[in-house]
Amino acid sequence: MINVLLAGVGGQGTVLAAKVLAQAAAARGWQVRTAETIGMAQRGGNVTSHVRMGDGGEEVFSSLITPSTADMVIALEPGEAARALPYLAPGGVLVTATTAIQPVTAALASQPYRAAEVVANLANSLQAQALAEAAKASEAEAVRATGEAAPADAQAPGVEGYPVPLFVPVDDAALEHELGPGSRKSLNMMLLAVAVAQNRVPLTLSEVKAAVEVCVKPQFVAMNLEAIDHAAQAYG
Amino acid sequence: MKKFLMGNEAFAHAALEAGVNVVAGYPGTPSSEVVETVAKLRASGVAEGVHVEWSTNEKAALEMLAGASYCGARVLFTCKQVGLNVASDALMSLNYVGVRGGCVLFVADDPGPISSQTEQDTRRFGSFSKVPVLDPATPDEAFAMMKAAFDLSERYGAPVIVRPTTRICHASTFFEVEEHTVARPLPGDGFQKDPKWVIFPKRAYEGHGEINRRLSRMAWDFANDPAFARFNHIYNGGETAPRRGVSPSDSLAAGSASDVRHPSGALSHVGIVTGGVSTAYTREALALMERAAAAAGLALPPYRLLAVGTPYPFPAETAAAFAEGLTDVIVFEELDSVLEEEMLKLAGARGLNLRVHGKLTGATDDRGENTTEGIAGRLARFFDRTNSANLAKLEEQRAEDFADHPGSLAALVASTIGQNDLHYEGPLPVRPPVLCAGCPHRGSFYAVKQALKGREAVLCGDIGCYTLGNAQPLDAVDTCLCMGAGITMAQGFAVAEPRKKQVAFVGDSTFFASALTGIANAVYNGHDVTFVILDNATTAMTGSQPHPGTGATLMGERRRPIVIEEVLHGLGIQHIGFANPHSLEGSLAAARAAIDFEGPSALIFRAPCIQLKKPDAPVVIDAEKCTGCKKCITSVGCPGIGFDAGRRGPASRERGQAFIDASLCNGCGLCTQLCPFGAIEGTVGFGGPGQAEVATYRPDPDPFQTGEIPLVNDEGNALQETEVKGEPDETPGQALGKAEGVCHD
Repeated sequence: MINVLLAGVGGQGTVLAAKVLAQAAAARGWQVRTAETIGMAQRGGNVTSHVRMGDGGEEVFSSLITPSTADMVIALEPGEAARALPYLAPGGVLVTATTAIQPVTAALASQPYRAAEVVANLANSLQAQALAEAAKASEAEAVRATGEAAPADAQAPGVEGYPVPLFVPVDDAALEHELGPGSRKSLNMMLLAVAVAQNRVPLTLSEVKAAVEVCVKPQFVAMNLEAIDHAAQAYG
Repeated sequence: MKKFLMGNEAFAHAALEAGVNVVAGYPGTPSSEVVETVAKLRASGVAEGVHVEWSTNEKAALEMLAGASYCGARVLFTCKQVGLNVASDALMSLNYVGVRGGCVLFVADDPGPISSQTEQDTRRFGSFSKVPVLDPATPDEAFAMMKAAFDLSERYGAPVIVRPTTRICHASTFFEVEEHTVARPLPGDGFQKDPKWVIFPKRAYEGHGEINRRLSRMAWDFANDPAFARFNHIYNGGETAPRRGVSPSDSLAAGSASDVRHPSGALSHVGIVTGGVSTAYTREALALMERAAAAAGLALPPYRLLAVGTPYPFPAETAAAFAEGLTDVIVFEELDSVLEEEMLKLAGARGLNLRVHGKLTGATDDRGENTTEGIAGRLARFFDRTNSANLAKLEEQRAEDFADHPGSLAALVASTIGQNDLHYEGPLPVRPPVLCAGCPHRGSFYAVKQALKGREAVLCGDIGCYTLGNAQPLDAVDTCLCMGAGITMAQGFAVAEPRKKQVAFVGDSTFFASALTGIANAVYNGHDVTFVILDNATTAMTGSQPHPGTGATLMGERRRPIVIEEVLHGLGIQHIGFANPHSLEGSLAAARAAIDFEGPSALIFRAPCIQLKKPDAPVVIDAEKCTGCKKCITSVGCPGIGFDAGRRGPASRERGQAFIDASLCNGCGLCTQLCPFGAIEGTVGFGGPGQAEVATYRPDPDPFQTGEIPLVNDEGNALQETEVKGEPDETPGQALGKAEGVCHD
């Protein structure tokens, strides 16, 4: 089972990114379910799209991801990355844009929240987890060396072979600048590409690109493919 | 043909494949996409022979459909849960009269609630009105139920409710759908005159007997007829589940209709009953728990699970077979304790020695949505509590909670499911929903509040985007009850507190749906209130549906729009003012005139929804002039304006300055009129400010408008027509993507 959570602010395009992933999964013959936030929350509220893919042929019961089981969390806004953190699997990838979208409440309260602080806090949080896992692993190694059985919890239950989470902050403003005007609209595709390029889930960039050609209107395919290539190259 | 569809889109396909002839409803999240999809498929030629419409409200839709059904047409009604309240008058007696063509009511419930005013349970409405209810656990099951519902309706000549919840409606997956559908031909004999179509007390008494008899037969069908019994499943799992050559967790997925009559796993003494989407969460939770238990060298007790897809009438025989030998069952369902009460009834009626745990006993959440991790925790405690060995240990250790008891399933679940040890330190931005940047309602609310300055007033709101006018800093909505209620509630305030001014805000779609009788009441009874009609030429909150005031229909025809001011005039409103809400001065003057008028008055703020407009260039803040006074922010709270304490300018010095988020600003220019220092530059109102003098309604010499069909708003109508026509494969999901700016149209 592969779980991908897309998080952002209403209007950022998590729905299309979810659709592209679903298409890529279907092309592999996997069962797939997605779920969206629709309605009042879309008006500037925080939104999520859940994508669940039965890559091992298993049945996907619920459309929603259980916290701590998302193999990839893709956030289009850093505050939303922090909000989505409980969803991240122990060995998952967290990719986030680093440009903040200020809510009206922040302007009214004179407390703009600072993207850089959020990104730093996230890095600290994931760093702490990585250290804890490393300590656990060396403890387990020591136990093994003395010939005793390793405790069960030394085997982190995350993405296979990746016991610690990976944090990839993306300088989306720089990517947009490099790609030129209008490329902000491909932010969803850029971050999806960066996440897939970390190779922690069995999906490839070429599969994502093939799915984009199916899901996106013909006139927008080229710009999205360019954005995917550029972002994956920068953060691959 | 395999297509990736949102649940609601797929349910539209299902109804069309069932040969539905007429589809009608009123928009409401999470139900709106069904009617929209039917309209798109019809417009693109995929669906032939179907009539589809947005009716003025739910009651109008259901009554229209009842007529068509009497002629033998298969009809589909759609609404959200509170919409059924509006249609309930028709539904109650329609069930007594009966139907001819299959009559399916698609009523979407909204646990949470995510975008609704109540957490009412349509399964309860089913038992109250004695109408059968199908309750899907997944979008796939709902697809099958939509078709089965038409058959059930025609088998018994009765309306049938299909009740999905938000997570079913707005979940997407791949569906096998037909490439072309044709509505079922209507019977040649047409409507047959018969005394049964006229409800009279005597007929109602007879009808009540028919209803009771058919409910018994339906309960039997739901337990025994494979056409419906397939929606109720019994699964076995846990330690000593029958293996069938597979692991216990696999046996969960192996359940099928054939299990219903053959519950095995005779050793189980605990059972789980689930309904709706809670079935999916519970099966997910059990799969996670079995994995975690296996990893920890523990096991789940043998259990039996009954998933109920036909909650009303309750398939008691299936439940009795399930309950055989069980001592305890726990029930997971959202909203009300419907299944729990049915299990209690079953235990009482059959004298079973069965304890039923659920909302009534505090064993499950009494409201809101269920979640996989929440159910896992509840289930673990249930398994621990019903395990006598565990209970003894708990007492021995004097632990308060099973989660404090090492070796318990509760402790296992607490440490492994739904927890990832990642902790984020620091505050997070709060993001309540807000009016969009450039929303015309912002100017309307601000102008009315300014015009009322110094007067005591009550501002009655209503249902729609404009409910968001209650947020700070606009703070312009004091009440919100239900569709159209603001109009009439304001009159009650006027009676009770005549010294205050009462203003009622209502949107254009809500105006036609449920404000007309309230306005007539004000004129008739002489209530001195001001009705403010926020006419943005669409039903905005639910995703831009047309309504009678736009003239655009789902059948692709352009009707003469019903003109709001003509209606107000016809109802006897003596003062009807107009204003462009993007123009502050004109809006203020118009608001003052309407408020000062003695007797019921009206003010129409007219400007299209920003979602239907091409944005103008973003406004610009002049760093030389901005003093950092924040008036722009504290007056109207537009998401396009932020404040940066770090910005410096000659006028602001150390205070910081406002800034424009150019990716959000739509260039309406309202803020340029608010800045006392002229520091915000930009054009106003999408092409110039409106006139400052007060425009009021003068009776039209041609009230029936025999001339050319006027366009209320070219731009808005054009967009709505594109929406309706769509492209053959364009779905509301894609349209939504477009609305989110991901398709760049």
